[in-house]
Amino acid sequence: MIDPSLALATRGLRKSYGSRLALDGLDLSVPSGVVYGFLGPNGAGKTTTMRVLTGLIHADGGAVELLGRPFTRRDRHRLFDVGALVESPAFYPYLSGRDNLRALAASGAPTPGRRIDEVLEIVGLRERASDAVSRYSLGMKQRLGIAGALLNDPALLLLDEPSNGLDPAGIVAIRETFRHLASIGKTVFVSSHLLAEVQQMADVVGIIAAGRLVREGSMEDLLASEGVVRVRVQPGEVATASALLVRLTAPDRVTPSPTEPGWISVQVAPSRTAEVNRSLAEAGIYASGLTSGNDLEELFLALTGTMGSADPDGTFTGIDPSAGPLAPTELAPTGLAPTEVLS
Amino acid sequence: MRLFVSALRKLAPRMATLLTFGLLAGMLVLIDVAVVATRGAVEGGPGRPGNVLALITFPGAYDQILSFILGLGGLFAVIYGAAIAGSEWTWGTLKTAVARGESRSRYLLATFAAIAVVLAVGFLFTALVGVIAAALGASVAGIGLSGMGDRAALEALPEHFLRGWVAITETAALGFAVATLARSQLAGIGVGIAVYFGETFAGLFLPDVVKYMPFHLATAAVGGSTGFAPVPSSSGPVMSTDTALVLVAVWLLASLAVASGFGERAEITG
Repeated sequence: MIDPSLALATRGLRKSYGSRLALDGLDLSVPSGVVYGFLGPNGAGKTTTMRVLTGLIHADGGAVELLGRPFTRRDRHRLFDVGALVESPAFYPYLSGRDNLRALAASGAPTPGRRIDEVLEIVGLRERASDAVSRYSLGMKQRLGIAGALLNDPALLLLDEPSNGLDPAGIVAIRETFRHLASIGKTVFVSSHLLAEVQQMADVVGIIAAGRLVREGSMEDLLASEGVVRVRVQPGEVATASALLVRLTAPDRVTPSPTEPGWISVQVAPSRTAEVNRSLAEAGIYASGLTSGNDLEELFLALTGTMGSADPDGTFTGIDPSAGPLAPTELAPTGLAPTEVLS
Repeated sequence: MRLFVSALRKLAPRMATLLTFGLLAGMLVLIDVAVVATRGAVEGGPGRPGNVLALITFPGAYDQILSFILGLGGLFAVIYGAAIAGSEWTWGTLKTAVARGESRSRYLLATFAAIAVVLAVGFLFTALVGVIAAALGASVAGIGLSGMGDRAALEALPEHFLRGWVAITETAALGFAVATLARSQLAGIGVGIAVYFGETFAGLFLPDVVKYMPFHLATAAVGGSTGFAPVPSSSGPVMSTDTALVLVAVWLLASLAVASGFGERAEITG
């Protein structure tokens, strides 16, 4: 049953690469006219999802609906109303920015020539449009990629790490552009590692881990209801403490950190922080650290069970080391100031 | 049509295009310069082939120029086809077009159609440069230019050009298909060169088989004298130029069918 209020939906999407399962029944519901933040740790299936949504690869099972209509292998014309930036922007390095957009405009949806200058203006590249792309910086290439995605004035934008390589001013400008697009009824689907950026930009968030959706909802509701309390106990007390906290909440709301010995994440409202502490203390377990907050980063880390942290030898654990460079927010400690710190 | 025009616009300023035809034209000019500069030795030296001056003596120079372009051009064409097809994958530009809803096979075929047109233009340009260089060489060497207007030679030129263009396009299609299958410029270029030289050596042992291979068929289609393969196989069974032309067309279409079929089904990652 297709829901016309959704700009994008996936139902039970499955995809394997050989024996490795990339998408394991992914269900997404992206309402029209919002900025949707698509989050997940490295290897969670974000890029695979993007590729399926843009017809670059085909799912093994499940269904995709784009702009209220089914999208299958034979429905490439649905993409005429979609703008996409998948992985890194791709251009002919010897052509100018403008000529690259001209070449892009010749494929897919018919695009009027004047639109090229419009999108160059939007991304702030008009002055350098005649330069060869080989002379562009990473950020300029990214801007040109976004310009390419905007070329056909799409109703739905699919963007993979659009802030990649942009300077702070560029990030702010792009964020405002996306917010503006959403305000005029376009849907912007953004996959990103920059959690703070997504928190500022997105209306709705979907978090995936291991190819499945683990949480989806409006940013406001998620942050209001999905607070996280992190508590540190002696490593030998983690099992006992976890059992106590499960009784206080629910089994799927308590996650011992796989990479930080002694730390346990508990998904409860920050107002229950004292209650968490008291229940441990009554059992004779005294927390040596306690933080609470309800920022997206805390939520993300708790839901996906990942925590990027540096080992003494300087290597990062908890994150797929083959997955490329990490965004600063992935590596940072908890984002918000703790409401209560015991030690 | 807009895809085809766009593909042409992309190919025209490309270094691979300029290099391919610039190199061919430059080598033709250099050969003519060498012939003129050493004409005394050529004419008077014992054991020297007297027909070297045929390179700048019309109307025979027309055939010599075509022979040179088609011979080396076959190798250059396979490299050119592979370079263009491979870059669509390595640069990710095919990915971008597909994500805009473009038909994969239409995109690939439009790109190849543009390659075929560029080859035709480049072929004519190189031949023109060759003719001018030969004419200048003939003037410097004191050889008359009256043969340039030879009616029979001029009347035969269009057919030679057409056959040569089809033959060169076939070898470009081979490189295009291999690079598409491998999603790599280098693989396409490597396999193309390997086939080019491999055919020659295989021709020594398996002439009945090799005569149906792309470079030998290309040689046969243009009359067998152009040396499309590096060492023309004279020992193989004779094939009519028309039969060879049909088989060249079969190779051409089969290569394009393989490339577009693979492009339709391929998973585009990276």
